[in-house]
Amino acid sequence: MILGYLGAGALLAGLVLGGFSALLSFWAGARESAVFIQVGRRAFYAATAMTLLAAVLLETGLLTHDFSLAYVAEHTDLSTPIALVAAGFYGGQEGSLLYWTLILGLLGSASLVASAVLGGRVAAYATGILATLLTFFLFVLAVVASPFELLSVTPPDGLGLNPVLRDGGMLIHPPVVLAGFAAFAIPFAFACAALLAGRADSAWIAHTRRFALLAWGLQTSGLLLGMWWAYHVLGWGGYWGWDPVENVALMPWLATTAYLHSAQVQEKRGRLRAWNFGLVILAFLLVVFGTFIVRSGVVPSVHTFAISAIGPWFLAFLGVCIAFSAVLLGTRASSLGTASGRPAEAVSREGAFVLQNVLLIGVIAVVFWGTVLPLVSGMFGLERVVSAPYYERAAAPLLAAVLALMAIGPLLPWRHAGRPTLRALRWPGAALALTLVMMLGAGVRSVAALIALPLAAAAAATVFTEYGRALMRKPEAILRGRRRYGAYLAHLGLVVVAVGLAASHVAQQEKDVTLTPGQQVSVAGYTLTYTGSEQRQDGDHTDFIAGMRFGDQTLEPSRATYAGLGGQALTHVAISTTPVADVYVVLADTGSDGSASFRVFVNPLVTWIWAGGAVIILGVLLGNAGAPSLQPELARRRVAATLSL
Amino acid sequence: MTLAVKWGIPVALVAACVGYLIYTTSGGTSEYYLTVAELQSHAQAQSGDVRVAGVVQDDVVKSDGGLTVRFTEEDGTAAMPVEYSGTLPDIFKPGITVVAEGRLGSDGVFHAKTLLAKCPSRFSTQPYTS
Repeated sequence: MILGYLGAGALLAGLVLGGFSALLSFWAGARESAVFIQVGRRAFYAATAMTLLAAVLLETGLLTHDFSLAYVAEHTDLSTPIALVAAGFYGGQEGSLLYWTLILGLLGSASLVASAVLGGRVAAYATGILATLLTFFLFVLAVVASPFELLSVTPPDGLGLNPVLRDGGMLIHPPVVLAGFAAFAIPFAFACAALLAGRADSAWIAHTRRFALLAWGLQTSGLLLGMWWAYHVLGWGGYWGWDPVENVALMPWLATTAYLHSAQVQEKRGRLRAWNFGLVILAFLLVVFGTFIVRSGVVPSVHTFAISAIGPWFLAFLGVCIAFSAVLLGTRASSLGTASGRPAEAVSREGAFVLQNVLLIGVIAVVFWGTVLPLVSGMFGLERVVSAPYYERAAAPLLAAVLALMAIGPLLPWRHAGRPTLRALRWPGAALALTLVMMLGAGVRSVAALIALPLAAAAAATVFTEYGRALMRKPEAILRGRRRYGAYLAHLGLVVVAVGLAASHVAQQEKDVTLTPGQQVSVAGYTLTYTGSEQRQDGDHTDFIAGMRFGDQTLEPSRATYAGLGGQALTHVAISTTPVADVYVVLADTGSDGSASFRVFVNPLVTWIWAGGAVIILGVLLGNAGAPSLQPELARRRVAATLSL
Repeated sequence: MTLAVKWGIPVALVAACVGYLIYTTSGGTSEYYLTVAELQSHAQAQSGDVRVAGVVQDDVVKSDGGLTVRFTEEDGTAAMPVEYSGTLPDIFKPGITVVAEGRLGSDGVFHAKTLLAKCPSRFSTQPYTS
């Protein structure tokens, strides 16, 4: 009971402090009043502290089973394992919003600590924008969807959570995705602040580079963890279904990826200034759009959203963000100017980055159209939806072109590419030709595979060429240029992921069978023998476990039935991973005569997806390791600063 | 060549390709997403594959070792029989909302190729009523 009052109080205090920080920071920034800029910043820290207090109180309520809190009673019960009780913090609507807000406050504070180097106005405006965002979230939490709502009668036990969600993957997937989204508010805030202050230089990019990379790394991990969870727990043999919930998480990732690349053109060459502001704004708007879609349930999805009062608030928030960004870009972009000197040729590093950006925005357009089609078509008649074939056919050519750019782009010099570049392209060219010949020789006839895999081989060859060059000349260059070599490592990881995606997509095989003990089934050359099934009572559910002998191991796909949940079943997939494919067995049903029905999948190279993900994260870590030693160099190259407005 | 020509033409070309891709593929691959009542009252939706959302009723009959299932899907105003072969979603049971993808046969039975269950995004099993 007392937790509820304290929590609501902390949220209200945070709301007041956040609003105060926002107003004061904009006012102080306009007047360049150093004292009040600092007061505004400290008010932001205080609002963050209040958010942290609220989070600690909610977590305390969960861990002490304080069922007077509606949130605790609705999302946990006494029998829920303690780790999942703790995870209930971000498991429900209100709690996950509080988590979002907390990450925004913490990362925002971290980004503001050293922001004075950007000059008083930029720092103050960034504080103001971050405080405005924080205030919006705290308002929703305090007024519309409070996690500290009290029940009139305290129940003896809570409702517990759905068995589908009682899984370790669910412990880490949602917080990583949400943190990845929240982190992108920092580049957004500083970009808008630089625009507001009329700063055309790339200081804001350098200042928020780590936050952008952090956001990208978290979003990448979040997407892959979600795929991993879907693959290992949901038991439909796949990992990506082009559901709106997945789409709205993919779009910010694509925009962030585009931004990480175009930001380099501005840092190194002083170009694409307006474009970079636009991309950062687009990425953040996509985050807000995704949050709105997921929280409002306006498009059909396999996920049942907790439809609540916060949908309209997020729509209004999205509208304000779009209007603010559009006005800001429209009024300030023309005055940004460009770097002096001759513009680059189209065939150059700059050109490769621009083309990659256009292609990624194309993929975003494809995914966006597929996601909103039900809304748009519903306005003009019967609702229409698209599914996997649309996304695959429309996005695959664009993604293949991106792979090709990964092979060519890193080898192109800045400004313009001449004859030496052609020589540099011989290694990826050879890798492409060799892979193509080997695949044709092996009898592969799938056009998709014949395009994707040779391009992936070429992109990998480019990474190895770059590393090889550095190692032969001076190996210490890799440590000094770790941003660059970290990025190449991330490229390599992405290539490995792409190979896994392409192979498992093109060559997946599946078979439905009903077997009696002793019978065999063969899928794609893998033979499994059904050895019989058994039934076990385990706590609140009954397990039916089937034995499938595969080589010298026994796979045990099972099905748990929860009597207390109206007989809801939960499948446990059995997966045997061989170097070239996963044998993936789902127990569909068991008969009274000892027979059992299975769906068996053979998924080639799925493990490459997870392995590639690990390589990407390594690349991000390498690119971020150590002190930001590149600052002096950046300062030297930075193009003349403040504009007169 | 001016800057606009050198950079604008390639960018415009790629943008045009993307537009063309979206236009052609979304026209060819989209399906109607309907309620049972809408399916029954719109003849143009009965010729091709459609997706129909509704609630599973109590008359679920399984056969063929659990791989084939027949049930009635209802949306409050209208109902239709659905037949589906394949692995059922884990949470499939009477009372949940499913989205069946397939086509309405001349026998009045909806032959589903895929069956999606609305997945619980919430941690809780049901909204708490106090």
